Order: sequence, then C-alpha cells, then structure tokens
Amino acid sequence: MEGFLANVLNGLSWGMLLFLISVGLTTVFGVMGVLNFAHGSLFMLGAYLCMQFVRWVGSFWVGLLAGPPLVAALSILLERFLLRPLYGRDVSFQLLLTFGVMLFLDDGVRLIWGPAYHVVNPPALLSGVIPFFSQSYPVYRLFLVILGPLVGLGLWAFFSFTRWGKILRAAAMDRQMAEIVGVRVPVLFTAVFAFGAWLAALGGALAAPHQSVGPAMGERIIIESFIVVVIGGMGSFPGAFAGALILGLMNSFGTTFVPHLQMALPYILLAVILLTRPRGLFGGEA
Amino acid sequence: MTKRCAALLLVILIGWAMTGMGLAAEKPVKIGFVYIMSGPFATYGQFAKQGAELAIDEINKAGGINGRKVEALFEDSTGKPDVGIRAIRKLVFENEVDVVMGLDSSGVASAVAPVMNELKTPLIITHAATPDVTGTKCNRYTFRVSLNVNQNIAMAAAIAADMKAKTWTTAGPDYSFGHQSWEYFQKYLSARKPDAVFLPQAEVAFSPAATTDFSAFITKIMNSKADGVLISLWGGNLIDFVRQAGDMGFFDGKREILMTLGAATEVLYALKDKMPEGIWVGTRYWFQANDTPVNKAFVDAYFKRFNVYPSYNAHGAYGAVRSYAAAAAKTKSVDKEKIIDGLRGLTIELPVGNITIRPEDHQAVTDGVWGKTATDPNMPIRILKPMRKFAGKEITPPVAETGCKMN
Repeated sequence: MEGFLANVLNGLSWGMLLFLISVGLTTVFGVMGVLNFAHGSLFMLGAYLCMQFVRWVGSFWVGLLAGPPLVAALSILLERFLLRPLYGRDVSFQLLLTFGVMLFLDDGVRLIWGPAYHVVNPPALLSGVIPFFSQSYPVYRLFLVILGPLVGLGLWAFFSFTRWGKILRAAAMDRQMAEIVGVRVPVLFTAVFAFGAWLAALGGALAAPHQSVGPAMGERIIIESFIVVVIGGMGSFPGAFAGALILGLMNSFGTTFVPHLQMALPYILLAVILLTRPRGLFGGEA
Repeated sequence: MTKRCAALLLVILIGWAMTGMGLAAEKPVKIGFVYIMSGPFATYGQFAKQGAELAIDEINKAGGINGRKVEALFEDSTGKPDVGIRAIRKLVFENEVDVVMGLDSSGVASAVAPVMNELKTPLIITHAATPDVTGTKCNRYTFRVSLNVNQNIAMAAAIAADMKAKTWTTAGPDYSFGHQSWEYFQKYLSARKPDAVFLPQAEVAFSPAATTDFSAFITKIMNSKADGVLISLWGGNLIDFVRQAGDMGFFDGKREILMTLGAATEVLYALKDKMPEGIWVGTRYWFQANDTPVNKAFVDAYFKRFNVYPSYNAHGAYGAVRSYAAAAAKTKSVDKEKIIDGLRGLTIELPVGNITIRPEDHQAVTDGVWGKTATDPNMPIRILKPMRKFAGKEITPPVAETGCKMN
C-alpha cells in the first residue's frame, strides 16, 4: 500500500510537470499549427532565469513570477520576426526554424551560464517533508501535484468562459472564418505563442528546485512532451492532461514492476495509439 | 643607384633568411582531444579542457615536446558513438593530429577503440571506464591512463565487505557502464564475502540516461529489502538522484551507500551541502589524496588559474598529455608507431602518484582512493575524510582476466 501510494505521488508529480510543458505545446499547435521544437529550450530558459533571480534576490517566488514573462517577451520577438514570415510556407520550414532556435538557445545558455550544473533550492515554505507512513515525502512534490490541476482548471475556465478563450478556439477551428468576422489573427498568433512560451517557462521554473539546471535539460523533456501531445490528441487540451497523467504514472509503476520495459513503454503506447486511434485519445475531427 | 640596389638586395636577403628560419622551425605537435563539450555532461568536458591546457602550457614553457611546440584541438563527442568516431576521423585526416586523447562515455570508447586500428593513430583514454577497451577490444593503438570499472569496483567491494549490509541493490545508468559496474560488484563482493545477497535484475534500479525524475527509482529501492546500495550514476544523473533522494529521506542512515563516482568535483561543486555527509564515494583521482610535490604543484597551478579544484577528468587530461610527452622523450620521436613503444610499459609520476601502463593490455596500473564525504569549513565543497587508499597492484585484475589479446 505504502509503495503503491508513493508510486502514485511520484507519477502524479512528474505527470503534472509534463502537463505544463505539453499543454503549451499543444495549444500552440492547436491554434497556430506550429510544432515548436524550441519549446523545450523555453522550458530550460525558464529554469535558468528562475535560478538567476534566486541568485539576485534570493527568492524562488520572484523567479517563478518574473522569469516566465521574460521568456514570453522573448518569444514575442521570435514569433514576430522569425516565425511570421514562414506561415505561408511548407511546415518543414517551421520545423527547421524552431529546431535552429533550439540549438541557438541551448548554446546561448551555455555561453552565459557555462556548462556546469546548478542547483536551485525550493522555497522555505515548501522545502520540508511530511511523514508518509514509515517514510517521508517531500512537500515540494505535493505542491507540484496540487499545482498541476489548478493550472489546468484555470486554463480550462479561460478557454471555456472568457471572450479571449472563445476567440482562440474559434481561430483554431477556422482561421479564415475568424478573420472574416473581424478577429485580428496575427495579433492572436503572437499572443498564443507567447502564452505557450510562458507555460513552458513556468514549467521550467517549477522544475528548477527538483532537478539540476543544466544545458540541454529541455531536450530530455521535449521528447516525452511530444509523446503526451500525440497520445492525448494534437491540439487537445484535456488530451494533454490525460496523456501527461498516463505517462507520469506509467513511468513510476513501470519502473517498479516492469523495469526492463520501462524505457520502451511510452513508445509502445505511442505506437498502439497511432495504430488504433491515430487522432489521439481526445483528438476530434477538427 | 647601386646603394639602393644593395639596400633592396639586403632586404630581400634578410626576408629570405627569416622565411628559411621559419621553415627550419618544426611544425607543432598536434594533440586532438575528444570530450563531451555540450549537453548535460558538458561540465566534464570543460574540466578536461582546462587540465589539458594547463599541461600543454607547462610543457610549452619548458621548451615543448622534443623541442617542438604543442598545439591542442578540441572536438565535441556529444556522448554519442557515431559523433565520437566522426570527430576522431576529422582530427586524424583533416587536422593531421599526432595523437588523440579523451573520451568520457564508455559507449563512445567501445565504438572508437576498434577504429583506431584502422586510423593507425594512438588514442589515450582519460575517463571512459569500460573494461572492454583494455580487454576484449584491446588493440595496439588504444591506451588508458585512468582507472577502469574493474579497478574502481574492486575498491567498492573491499569497502562493502567491511559494512554491515547483507542484501545489496544498485542504482545505475541503464547502459553498459551501469550494468558492468553491478556485475563486477557482485563478482568481487561475493569473492570477499560469500554470504552477500544481491537483488535480482528485476528489482534493482537502472534508469535511462535521460531521466531527470528519479522518484520512482528511489521509491523502488527504499521499498526493497536491500540494506546496501551501489550507486554508479554520474554527472547530472547523480546530482538529480542525490537531491531527490535527500528530499525523500533516502539518506536516513537505514542503508549503507556507495557512490562509485560521487567524488567528481563537477558533482560536488553543483551539490555543495546537498551532498550528504558520511557517504562512501569513489573517484579516479582526488586532489587531496596525496601530498607529493607533483600533486601540490598541479593542484596549486590549477586552482590559481581556474579558481576551482581539479576534478578527476581534469587530472585525466593532464596526465595523458604528460604521459605522451614522457613517451616522446623516451623514444625521441612523435612518430605514431614509435610513440606506442614509448607508452608501453611507461612508468611516470603524475599528480595521482606513479602509474605504469601495462604493455600487455595498455591499461594503467594506478593507485585508487575512496573516502567518506565530510565538511571542511575552509572548503567550498565536501571533502573526503577518512580516505582509504588502494595500491594499483591490489585493485588491477591480472592481464589473463581481462580477455585482451593484443594484435
């Protein structure tokens, strides 16, 4: 029982981090049709900026609040000056561009902060452990487990009930129609791209206290995020949530029960989903 | 007019003489280095580069190798075998280096070693520890000046034999290095302590190299019945593991822990006080392990220049350059074939102590050290106290056991 619950919590906390990354990825894809390879690098940038703020002012919360908007600001420049000229062209141009941006950011981070690993401490409020049967469990992980659904709920409410959310969904469904009824799609695209970047950077800032901050940390998470997005359904919001949960739990339980297969499990699931439900678990006809 | 002619002639003659002098000065000795310079393990490449530069500058200041200046070229293996092979081919064919040094990953080393036969260029491995490259895949051109898995695990087993733990498990990277570490640990500990129990393969924790969340592996070990853990994770993996394990109460004193590469300064600088005290950690070189003048000079020069203490990877690169220079002095040549004769059986004093490169398998017999992590208020990182030192002869398996058939 104890092991089971620990596995559930381990899986949920990793899953929630994955969710934050994949939800940005899937939103950008859903609305703009752009597969952003640099998403993992924005995640990494979020972690580095959080670390830098912790060094400057000594507060994790400042890093968590101030880092992601900076990354979003950078991504506005990326969208406006690099991505926008490519919208009319073949998708492969966008893939190449975002891949290039990823390499650029990865090396940029190494030039600024060096190749060494950095450690960010969780804030005092969340740094303890709580007793958990005969063992203990870190509070910070519980914080992640709770924060994930809260962010998810907030996003869902935003998409369902606010005017902006509805406009976004409309533009995702039919870009031309949205333009005809007066939606300024270019501005909308910039906003969505920045929003996705903000989510990635938020994930990065949240990941900073529980893993080492180092160059290429984004490469490790982007692959799993792509799997989450495909499993859940490209562009699907609940899909990203379900996919992230499945992958997180599969990771923790797989490690315990089928260690030889653990590495392959996400890919097996990916193959099964692509064969049986190519649009993903929550992928609609849109 | 004749005056001007004479002046012109003089200028031409002087110019000619100077070019002639330029031609007479020999071309530099080129050393190609291949390390992981990007990605999550890049900090290891950084330290190695510093160690190599320090050695080369010292040698150049003292007149170079056999009177020729030494020049370094660095390539990034990215930790991938195909990239590593490409980098070495480029160094050999395009840059025409005289020797190749480096390699961090065992995966890269295993792929590269057989290629050296075909490139006919000496390779001195300074970090990668797989026994294969001086064992079943040994060849005329491949050497290693650093400790290998067998040697390091022999020390781990000696320390484990004195511990109370009865049942052992492991946390290691899920590729040859992690699996070989565990395999040799079982072999060597069983020999010393026949009643030691080891968890079966399905119950130990091998994590993919890309893992950043180790909670599932930590939970698995904590819920197993093992009271001893051999940790062969390294680099970013080890940092993540130690931090997360610390949060989850893994270091609560209920289990004996051995970290085979825990005393890498790359890791200790990142973790600082997050590295728990009282844990046995291994390394390939520890900067405080001996107070010979050679070691003191190396550590002082390194710290003065880079403001950090040298890691084993820095020492590996430094030691390889020094060994190469010694072999070149011995054979009075940098000819690729002659250097091999110089390296075979070479004994040289490095900061780590005296090492001897065995002529039969090209593995260096070098002293090893393990220690318990401790705090020193004057040091920015954890230090080792007490230390246990092992003589190279004690921990190096005989040539017959390595499976090496030298061509």
